[in-house]
Amino acid sequence: MWAQEVLALSRRWLLMTLRERLNLLFSVLQPAVWLVFFAGSLGGAMDARVVGTTDYLAFAVPGIIAFTVVGNGVSAAMPLLFDKETGYLDKLMSMPIRRSSLIVSRFVFQMGMNSAQVLVILLVALVLGVRPATGLAGVLAILVTAALLTLAMTAAAMALACAVPSHGTFFAVTGFASLPLLFMSNAFVPLTAMPAWMQVVARANPLTYAIEAMRLLMLDGWSAGLPVAMGALVLASALLLVVGAWQFGRQTSERVA
Amino acid sequence: MGMIIDVERLSRRFGQSTAVDELTLTAGAGEVVGLLGPNGAGKTTTIRMLATLLPPSSGTARVCGFDVVRAAGDVRLRIGYVMQQVSPMGYYMLTGREKTEIEAALYHVPRKRVKARAAEVLELVGLSAHADRLVQAYSGGMQKRLELACGLLHRPELLILDEPTLGLDVQSRHHVWDHIRQLCQEGMTVLLATNYMDEADRLCDRLTIIDHGREVVSGTPAELKAAIGADSLDEVFLRHTGHALREEAA
Repeated sequence: MWAQEVLALSRRWLLMTLRERLNLLFSVLQPAVWLVFFAGSLGGAMDARVVGTTDYLAFAVPGIIAFTVVGNGVSAAMPLLFDKETGYLDKLMSMPIRRSSLIVSRFVFQMGMNSAQVLVILLVALVLGVRPATGLAGVLAILVTAALLTLAMTAAAMALACAVPSHGTFFAVTGFASLPLLFMSNAFVPLTAMPAWMQVVARANPLTYAIEAMRLLMLDGWSAGLPVAMGALVLASALLLVVGAWQFGRQTSERVA
Repeated sequence: MGMIIDVERLSRRFGQSTAVDELTLTAGAGEVVGLLGPNGAGKTTTIRMLATLLPPSSGTARVCGFDVVRAAGDVRLRIGYVMQQVSPMGYYMLTGREKTEIEAALYHVPRKRVKARAAEVLELVGLSAHADRLVQAYSGGMQKRLELACGLLHRPELLILDEPTLGLDVQSRHHVWDHIRQLCQEGMTVLLATNYMDEADRLCDRLTIIDHGREVVSGTPAELKAAIGADSLDEVFLRHTGHALREEAA
């Protein structure tokens, strides 16, 4: 029953996405374009002693992946936002479905989409000569890391979508927060290059741990830092998931559990 | 025969204001019961409580014998809720068939029956020929009929219709009425909230007029008209609810 609900809703998300081909095309291409231009131009200005590698492109790949996941988090919450405003959420809530199906289907769909994009990014990077130090198993580990980050970002965006009075506020907040979230992390520069206060902020940012994990997998191999970074990411994801579930519960509590 | 709708002294307050005030309402199997009232009288609030979307502040509401709060899941299995606002935005990039199949799955129609059941209800409302067009391209009347079709997917015992013909042209209204009548002949119970007195007169076995959240008068359309010697339900309605415009927020 539950699987049928999640599948049906995932079909809805998939069809909606596939119908908007241009949207899909640009969404898939965007990170690759970022990788080429952003890493290409910034790479020349980077000091290898600060970055810790001469291969800035490889260094930037995890940052671009995180960047993509953050951007997709915003679009992940959009259907919920609009279902809420158009009243279709009420129709769904009047059906004999589990409340969680709505959220879980969105996670499932978003993880699928993001995984596809991560693979495109890695493929473009491969073409540009970047080989993950951990090989094919590393690619899988990167996918898992990106999926965890997707969970965290989607949950955060869904919580925000539930909490705001309308989509105007949602976009104002996400527009305001997205770039600082990225730049207050190790997405494009290592933590050591930041002023002390910024390092403190970046250490509290879940992006930092996802990027750290992916960067170790890209550049260093299976290192001891990996479980630490992954552990922090799992913790952050779990926390955001709780916040998301709580906000969704609040949103739907008027609609009776 | 048990009551399909059994509402007893149902109230819903929002802060200081009382949207529904000690309302009592019943519907037996196969009945079409009209819920009439000026804007802001509490029709939609009542319906939202019956559709398990809003918990009552006090009183009880049972649908098919199940309490809308304690047994919300059982209620949801037995109601088809056709909302007032058709909001195709959430699925306008889907075809009518896709939307119907997705909702059939959400109503737990057995997997193997989903396609057939979706085709059946689309046929029932005369949308078979347009089933594979995007909902985006549907007219207002077609969208309403699609909503109606989706409300029937799980063969509900109670169909809750909130303004089913709002904004439709005359042809579409008659079309929708024909469907509702046909469903009633097959034994479906219908709760109909409407602002159209002619619609209530044509379709309803019994009516309850509410105002300021309270029941004003109930009876069959003929009884209500005869009681005050009126020719039309419009007269009945205005006699009981007055001519003043309502300024309560909906």
